[in-house]
Parts: sequence; structure tokens; C-alpha cells
Amino acid sequence: MALLKVKFDQKKRVKLAQGLWLMNWFSVLAGIIIFSLGLFLKIELRKRSDVMNNSESHFVPNSLIGMGVLSCVFNSLAGKICYDALDPAKYARWKPWLKPYLAICALFNIILFLVALCCFLLRGSLENTLGQGLKNGMKYYRDTDTPGRCFMKKTIDMLQIEFKCCGNNGFRDWFEIQWISNRYLDFSSKEVKDRIKSNVDGRYLVDGVPFSCCNPSSPRPCIQYQITNNSAHYSYDHQTEELNLWVRGCRAALLSYYSSLMNSMGVVTLLIWLFEVTITIGLRYLQTSLAGVSNPEESESESEGWLLEKSVPETWKAFLESVKKLGKGNQVEAEGADAGQAPEAG
Amino acid sequence: MAPVLPLVLPLQPRIRLAQGLWLLSWLLALAGGLILLCSGHLLVQLRHLGTFLAPSCQFPVLPQAALAAGAVALGTGIVGVGASQASLNAALYPPWRGVLGPLLVAGTAGGGGVLVVALGLALALPGSLDEALEEGLVTALAHYKDTEVPGHCQAKRLVDELQLRYHCCGRHGYKDWFGVQWVSSRYLDPSDQDVVDRIQSNVEGLYLTDGVPFSCCNPHSPRPCLQNRLSDSYAHPLFDPRQPNQNLWAQGCHEVLLEHLQDLAGTLGSMLAVTFLLQALVLLGLRYLQTALEGLGGVIDGEGKTQGYLFPSGLKDMLKTAWLQGGVACRPAPEEAPPGEAPPKEDLSEA
Repeated sequence: MALLKVKFDQKKRVKLAQGLWLMNWFSVLAGIIIFSLGLFLKIELRKRSDVMNNSESHFVPNSLIGMGVLSCVFNSLAGKICYDALDPAKYARWKPWLKPYLAICALFNIILFLVALCCFLLRGSLENTLGQGLKNGMKYYRDTDTPGRCFMKKTIDMLQIEFKCCGNNGFRDWFEIQWISNRYLDFSSKEVKDRIKSNVDGRYLVDGVPFSCCNPSSPRPCIQYQITNNSAHYSYDHQTEELNLWVRGCRAALLSYYSSLMNSMGVVTLLIWLFEVTITIGLRYLQTSLAGVSNPEESESESEGWLLEKSVPETWKAFLESVKKLGKGNQVEAEGADAGQAPEAG
Repeated sequence: MAPVLPLVLPLQPRIRLAQGLWLLSWLLALAGGLILLCSGHLLVQLRHLGTFLAPSCQFPVLPQAALAAGAVALGTGIVGVGASQASLNAALYPPWRGVLGPLLVAGTAGGGGVLVVALGLALALPGSLDEALEEGLVTALAHYKDTEVPGHCQAKRLVDELQLRYHCCGRHGYKDWFGVQWVSSRYLDPSDQDVVDRIQSNVEGLYLTDGVPFSCCNPHSPRPCLQNRLSDSYAHPLFDPRQPNQNLWAQGCHEVLLEHLQDLAGTLGSMLAVTFLLQALVLLGLRYLQTALEGLGGVIDGEGKTQGYLFPSGLKDMLKTAWLQGGVACRPAPEEAPPGEAPPKEDLSEA
């Protein structure tokens, strides 16, 4: 009992081949789209690798790029096959290669589906890398004189301005690190000396944040220093003031940005995967219906196309049998060799 | 009645003309599409920057005119592609015969007119940007503190975002902020002696400081941003205001915005010039093709030599014919094109 049998006459076969040819060329376009999506994600990850400790995983964009290239190659090949399928002479050239090619296509579709799933599932590792990277970035904020880290201040400032965020989890993260370099501290000032003495590690900690945390939507000029001191500013209550600084932490902001990017890429990849599965099924029908045309002279005859020659459990049994036969075949040869040697010896 | 600018067109040159016209028409359509994109981009930019241009500024008319010009160029290009392709195929040409004449008229009059207008605007309008920007920026900076006055409450956010995005400070430099009260009176402590002194020392009763908003800060500076007491060299140790430094953005927003908008207008203007040239060539080519094929009586593959021309007779003769035809259908228009159409059709019906 063949699986999902469909009758094909000459006209239907021709239409199927032409439709598949067109779909394959659209699919090459889709492969180029996947390639460019992967490239875009790779560039975005590289742009901000400074705040990700340079240890972020490029698995998703690399696999998207690979899948895009493979999709272009396979689909242009399939397009050529469909184009030749209408000419019996040319098709005879491709006939022996079609079965292994379809098996490879099925494998490719499975891998494409897994890659699409990865787009949705791999945000957890990104969260950890971001947390670590941002912590280190903020630590090196003041090291504008240290070669190798002098750009960190600019990077963090531009990040906070662009993503509208402040600190790792919130603006209070800035209270716990010294973000003002010693070079710009006046050590003759009493206030500076008191602050440094009051700290175990001798760090100059303030309840202030860099200017890039300021929110332009605030009705009053930005309050960056003495944030928790209500009496330092007229008509100010830091508990109720929400518009003064950005409230979101940069880890959450970056994570949501990359998550939405990867989610939309996953959706596009899933849609393209559905398209590819349709093409593979169509190609299978074309192959079986053309094989069913017994006499190549009578190309006008009707034939049947199917997905699997027997039903699924039977096909699975036949597959297992052929695997067992492969194993037994070696055994039989070995026994035959021994039997051959024994009479010789004996 | 001698035809104006005649050109003998045997079969091979006719085919070459049609093929060349097909290519030119595609280029024209591409140019029209690019103009549509560019003027759309400029319109979007002006939406964001509209608050910094004086309301009396006519600059936003430019992208709107360019949009119309781009659409016309795109249409002409597509018509050119269709007509040149049809002129090579005997079966496709007959429906084009009747339509091509009026289309050429519309293309020359309408399309040419719109393109010339847009090109003129692209040359004339950027000159008025300087004053408009000056006025707009003065108003914006003056209303920076009015975050609770309806109608101006967005000024602070817009100015801050402008300075952050375009990397500029003040109108011509950061010192512009010293002459404007940018701290709202609502957040000034009336009991603070320093505040009272500053307000009283000023004729208009404004609270002026030598400080700037946070959006003027330059992230490239190696030290945390200094925003207050900028003219006092003793206020910040290790900081000398006379030395060039990276503390604040050095450029003024006036220069930055002027350059940005003039660049966009310049790009648009050069694209309009190229499109105008392409459109003139396409319309000329179509006219010659049309008159040459009319000479053959609409038969494409005719081996005979025919003449293509611009106008069938000189200007005086055409105006006379048009005047004689006076009240019938076509009014004698100042453009030569409509009377130019009537005589060829007349000649054909006589022949």
C-alpha cells in the first residue's frame, strides 16, 4: 500500500515539473535571504563583542550562513533537475542520482528545522555572556589611560545612549564601582580624602552616574550626582523620580534586542523550511511518477506518484532488513572464506 | 511644409533606435525609482527636524515636488519600455498607435514641467535654509526650559536628542547655552542666595549659568563630563578651558544640520538633472520612432526607408493650421505639441 498515491497524466507531470522549477528558483532567493540574515546577526554580535567579553557564541549566525549557502546550491541543482525532467533523454542522466539526492534533501530539511529551533532557544547563553561582559566593561570605564581598555568609556557611553539603559541591572550598579579615574580626582580636597578613607578598598565611590544614563524626556535638567540625597536638589524626591535617568539595565535591553532579532530570524527560517519541505515532497512525486512511466516512448501514459512505496511501518521494516542484510552479508562472506580455506587446509 | 529636423530611418537603424530606447527607458524608470526613494528619505528626515526649521520655511516643498517628478519619470520610463518593445513586434504595435501621441504630449508638458520645477526648487531652496535654521534653533533653545508649557513641552527632549544624535552643542558652539535660561524656574530654589543673585544681575530676570545640558557631553572624552562652571578655570582642577579638549561636542548644531540638509538636497538635485536629461532623450527617441512608423502606415517590418521628424512643419505653419482648426476640438495652445499632433493625423487620412 503506497503512501499518499496521486495519479499523474502527462499534462499534470509537465505542470508539476514547471511549478517545481519556479519554486526552486524562489528557494534560491530564500537561501540568499537566510545567508544575509546570518551575516547581519554576525555583524551585530561583533559590533558589541566588547561588552560581551569577546566570548559570545557565534553558533546561530554561522549555521544560518552555512544553511543559506547549502540551500542555494541544492535548490539550483533541483531546479536544473526539474528543467531536465521534461526531456526523457536528459532525465535518464539524472535518474540514478535522484534517490540519494532526495535522501540528502530530507537530511538538509531536518538540519534546517533544528537551526530554526536554535534561533529561539539559545538566548540563555547570551544572557550570561552579557552579564559578565557588562560587569567588566563598567569596571574598566575609568581606565581611559590604559592601552587596550581606553575605548571602554566611549563604548559604554554610546551603548547607554543608544539602547536607553543604565548600568548592568539598574543605575545603582554605578554606585558600587569607582568610575572616575584617579587622574581627575583632586587629592588635596577634603571631600575626596574623606570618601577614600571611608572605603575599605580605598576606592572613590559616589552616588552618581555618568551623563549617558540621563533621560532626555525628563522635564528637569539631568541630576547625575548626589542622586540619593533629596536635600541636595530643590523639589526632588529620588524615590518617586522616574524620568530622570534610564530605568532599564543594559543587560535586559541588549538581551531583548538580540532576542527579538533571533526570534524574527527563527520565524523567517521556519517559513522557508516549510517551503523547502514542499519542494522536497514535490520532487519525490515527480521522481516516482516519472519512474512509473514504464516505456519511455509512451511518455503520454498515465502513471502514479507516491511518497513511500509501502506504508511507513513496512518501509521501516524493509530498511532494518537491508541494514541487517549488510551485516549478515559480511558474515556470510567471512564464513564462505573460512569454509573455502578449511577444505583447502583439509 | 518641410518637416522639422528630419532623420532618415531604414529598417536596421529603426531597430537599433528601438533597442536603444528600451535600454534608456529602463534607466529612466530606475532613476525615477531612485528619486522616489531619495525624496521619501528627505521627507522622513524633515519630519524629525521640522521643529528646527522656521515655520515660514519653504524647504519641505522640495521633497514633495521631487516625489511627483520621480513618479512621472517612472511612468515615462515604463511607457517607453512598452512602446519600444511593441515597435519591434508587429502584433503588439497597433494598440500603441493611437495612445502614443497623447502620451508623448503628456510626457513633454506634464513630465517636463514637473521636472523643471523640481530642479529649480532644488537649486533655489537650499539658500533659504540658513535663515530658517537660525530662527528655528533660536526658538528651540529658548523653549528648552518650557517642559510644562503646552505646545513647547517637547522642545527639551527634541533638542537633547538632536545634540546626542548629530554630535553637536548649541547653535554655533557651547557658549550659546550661557545666554539662554535652560533650567526651568520650577526647579530653582527661591531661597538660595546664588539663584537670587544671578536673577537680579540680569536685565531680563533670567537665570543664566555657565553650564550646558548633559546632551552636549562628548563620550570620547577621557574624563567624566564637566557640564557646570565651564568658564571658571579654578572650578575643576586639572582642567584648562583655554586648551582644546574633548569634553563637549565642538560643532554647533546649525553647521551640522545645514551641511546635512544641503547634502541631501544636492544629491536630490543632481539625480533630478540626470533624470531630466534621460527623459528628454527618451521622449525625443519615442517621437522619432512614432513618426517613422507612421510614415510606413504602422507596418513594423516594412523594408522601406521612412523619415522620422520632430514636427511635420515649421512653427508658423503649425500655428496657422492650429488657428484654422480653432474652435473644433483643440484650442490653440501656446505649446507646439497639440497642433503638432493634428497635421500628421490629417496627412494620413488624406493619404
